[in-house]
Amino acid sequence: MTNSGRTNIFDGIDWKTVMLYVALTLVGFVCILSASFDEGSAEPWSMSHFYMKQLVWIGAAWGVAFVVMLLDSRYFHMLAYPAYALGILALVAVLIFGREVNGAKAWFQFGSVRIQPVEFAKIAVALAVARMMSGYSFSINRAGDLFRLAALLFLPLAIIVLQNDTGSGVVLCSFLFVFYREGLNKWLCIPVLLVVLLFIVSFLITPTTLLILLIVVFTVSEMMMNRIWRSRIIALAAVFLASILLHYTLQLCGVDKPYYLSLMIVSLVAAAVAAVYAYRSNLRNIYVIIALFVASMIFLPTTEHIFNSILKPHQQNRILNFLGLMDDVRGTGYNVNQSKIAIGSGGLFGKGFMNGTQIKYNFVPEKHTDFIFCTVGEEWGFVGSLVVLGLLCALILRLMKMGDRHEEPFGRVYCYCVASILLFHVLVNVGMTIGLMPVMGIPLPFVSYGGSSLIAFTIMLFIAVNLDASTRQQLGRRRF
Amino acid sequence: MSGYNDLSRIRTLRAVVFLIFGAIVLRLAYIQLIDTRYKDMAQRNVLHPVTLYPARGEVYDRNGEFLVQSRECYDFMVVYKDLPRSGFDTLRICSILGITPEKLERELRNARMRPRAPRRILSFVPKEAKLLLDECNLRGFYTVYRTERQYPRKIGGNLLGYVGEVSPEMLKRYPDYNAGDYIGLTGVEAAYEDVLKGRNGLRIEEIDTHGAIKGSYMDGAFDTLPEHGKSIVCTIDARLQLFAEELMRGKVGAAVAIEPSTGEILMMVSSPTYDPDELVGRQRGNNYMKMLYNKRQPLFNRAVRAKYPPGSTFKLVQGLIGLQEGVLKPTDMYPCHSGYRSGRVRVKCHEHSSPLNLYFAVSTSCNAYFCYVFRNILDNPKYGSVKEGFDVWKEYVESFGFGRNLDTDFLGEGDGYVPDRQFYDKRYRGSWNSLTVLSLAIGQGELGCTPLQMANLAAIIANRGYYYIPHIVRSVEGQDSLDRRFYEKHYTKVDPKYFEPIVEGMWRGVNVDGTSRWAALPGYDVCGKTGTAQNPHGKDHSTFLSFAPRENPRIAISVYVENAGFGASMALPIASLLEEFYLTGEVKRQYMLDYVRNKEVYYPNYDK
Repeated sequence: MTNSGRTNIFDGIDWKTVMLYVALTLVGFVCILSASFDEGSAEPWSMSHFYMKQLVWIGAAWGVAFVVMLLDSRYFHMLAYPAYALGILALVAVLIFGREVNGAKAWFQFGSVRIQPVEFAKIAVALAVARMMSGYSFSINRAGDLFRLAALLFLPLAIIVLQNDTGSGVVLCSFLFVFYREGLNKWLCIPVLLVVLLFIVSFLITPTTLLILLIVVFTVSEMMMNRIWRSRIIALAAVFLASILLHYTLQLCGVDKPYYLSLMIVSLVAAAVAAVYAYRSNLRNIYVIIALFVASMIFLPTTEHIFNSILKPHQQNRILNFLGLMDDVRGTGYNVNQSKIAIGSGGLFGKGFMNGTQIKYNFVPEKHTDFIFCTVGEEWGFVGSLVVLGLLCALILRLMKMGDRHEEPFGRVYCYCVASILLFHVLVNVGMTIGLMPVMGIPLPFVSYGGSSLIAFTIMLFIAVNLDASTRQQLGRRRF
Repeated sequence: MSGYNDLSRIRTLRAVVFLIFGAIVLRLAYIQLIDTRYKDMAQRNVLHPVTLYPARGEVYDRNGEFLVQSRECYDFMVVYKDLPRSGFDTLRICSILGITPEKLERELRNARMRPRAPRRILSFVPKEAKLLLDECNLRGFYTVYRTERQYPRKIGGNLLGYVGEVSPEMLKRYPDYNAGDYIGLTGVEAAYEDVLKGRNGLRIEEIDTHGAIKGSYMDGAFDTLPEHGKSIVCTIDARLQLFAEELMRGKVGAAVAIEPSTGEILMMVSSPTYDPDELVGRQRGNNYMKMLYNKRQPLFNRAVRAKYPPGSTFKLVQGLIGLQEGVLKPTDMYPCHSGYRSGRVRVKCHEHSSPLNLYFAVSTSCNAYFCYVFRNILDNPKYGSVKEGFDVWKEYVESFGFGRNLDTDFLGEGDGYVPDRQFYDKRYRGSWNSLTVLSLAIGQGELGCTPLQMANLAAIIANRGYYYIPHIVRSVEGQDSLDRRFYEKHYTKVDPKYFEPIVEGMWRGVNVDGTSRWAALPGYDVCGKTGTAQNPHGKDHSTFLSFAPRENPRIAISVYVENAGFGASMALPIASLLEEFYLTGEVKRQYMLDYVRNKEVYYPNYDK
């Protein structure tokens, strides 16, 4: 970051990444063409068709990529926090002035052009996270820094959830990937993942079981983090013993409350004791564990409440449907069912370009946007799907590689942020079309129809390419 | 930040990426390569098979006249979800179809239960209405080509039978049929269903998610055209049938005519009959119920199902058996003084000269004479006992086609009834003799014959000892011949040489000195035998059995009229007029025609 910018914008560019990007946008165009081509149309070149619009968007995106490459890499570091502030502002603005599409108030409408600020906010958040984590005094395993980082993420997440665009919000969870790369204790990752998992399946288990699970998992995590065994096992035993004693004492006193209550009281007391212990023995990471534990304790038993009052009926149905608690092929499950039929009927080599009946005859809804992967699966079959997934996988691995060769933490963190966002998008988007994931309305990067998502992903990617190029230039200069 | 475990973390994260993509690829491989259900589901989504209905085969009479035609008609269908939201002109549709708005509303409500499925609102929409509907260009409604039966001559209700939609029970029994198909339910329609029905065609269309038709699947590679039903030529003479139905009007009974040299059924009337057009189209249900509750039972095909006592016509059989058994010679004389008497048993007879020989006994229909003959057959010492003799007699009777169905091509043929030894053993607790069953001698008692069996008897005598199985179909389009059994001579157990005396008796009965003299036709040596069958339901049944001419007979006929008295009073003139009409092509005896038309028969039993 000390040296000035590049002299030649094409110098040091990772051409493989650019080729992967170009290939993906072209694949996207072919799929959108197939999905939205109307044989009966009088004017196949009219701009009213999705594929023609996408052609324009692709051209615009390539132009934007070029402009991003023109910028000096130092600006990104400089602009990270202003961009974050702008992003938050835009998110708040859309919450107030935005337009509601499919139940989510996440769009700005300018004439015929719709823009989804979340797509751009992701770039801002990635930049801000990179900026914060590249600070000289920042340590991922320090409790205070971790809380600051969490706050940086939860502010936009909260606004996005308020917009009712949960899918895009959940994307931010993928930053765990980056934190792990940056040295976050893996025993902290596990409880976080567990909480996410428990949130999804909490309908299936009783609150008491849930609490016992939480206590055990968090204690074990702490045990592994600090590598102190005996006292933790004793503490664990003490908590359960005390809770059972309390339960029977209460019963003897004639207060008939469920065991859950005793366990909760005891574990809260134990958390307080642990906090004191942490202060005394200077084990700050225990604070993180305690904070996570208390948060989950408050959060998880209210899942049902959240589920019933905060999630919209269609979101509830999607989750229930995904968990197999509700099987409704005609209603909520219709999209996923039809999408699975489309992909499953593709077979090894697919039905051929424009021959997918599920696509052509509109059985798959949102076939050019969120369900674009159906076109790949149905018309190009398993082989075509492997190619597209291969391109995406290669791009993600490429980004990780670019991150790894950075010397500066800013560039590394940013590249990993982009990789993790892309990975999450691919997992959720492709996963939902084949029934691996619940339905969340997030696009397949570079492939799905849509200008704001394409351009946002392009900017995001090319900032990484730009950062990488300047690093390589510096390296090259040093080498000679 | 690059700690000591940097490299292992990079590896872990790379593993996570591969794990996620691996999971996706595995899942893809499962649904795309292993699970084949999705291919079928995709096909079921997009393919919309449309049944193309064939025209049912036509039926001609022996002279090439139409008996049954197939007329173009249409089913009016709706797909509820395709109906325009803004509504449509209900009243116009109703006025074209001739239905009430309430009915249309009701059908649309039913259609709403399964909005994607086509539902039939009305069948048998005539072509003119269909064209009007096409002009209206109604969205959501369409018509499907079908055919309905039409009967230009309006004859042969029970004979031709009717066609109806397959019922759910039938669908279970006949897997070849689909709901909505038509199937022949009775008569010729049922008997020749396989030939007449044709085969459904199939057109596979591709539809989009809204059900709109997008084109044909694989350019019609799997489409098939409907195969129209084959036509059949009946042995029926339509004009004779029409004339017979007219003569039988107002009477209950049956008339059957057979061509003896082929076994072809020239005419078969079950009276009362009905206009077959009534069992076609929308009013079928109502008309059917009306007929079902009609006390005279027009839906009961008496010609092949009724069990009538044959009466005196059965004496011909007794005579033939006696001759064959050697217990009777044509010249044998028996006395008759107003009847036959043996102990307490007495069989009455009308006044005629006595003693008499076989010829006169046949022509004048003497009861006593055949009582002697019958007793001689049963009491023949050759067989040791009456019961053994009875068995022999029964075998003879059955060889004439009685007591069993004739295995014609007509479904629903009845067996008639000839009692057997066990029957009498049971009834008389084992102790009975030829006197006990004496009423069989004159065709009374427990005997039951279908009019078809009686006509067949006439054909046997006309042929002097054999018959062809009576059949109703002469030829089937595309088939060289009928079943073999219709071309085989079936001999009775009586030698042909014994038939001549009986024929002589029948000839004399018409042309010289008998009960049937009214049936004489100059130039045609008509032979006939009247029958007057006592029955427990009131007045005697009138029956007449006849064939003509005597040599190379062209028609053998049996007419049976319930409760019409003497054989000569009703059955004879009807049979005679039919013979005259068939042989000469016209009816000159207007007085006889008027007599038949004007003579009323009362049926207090039916009309109670």
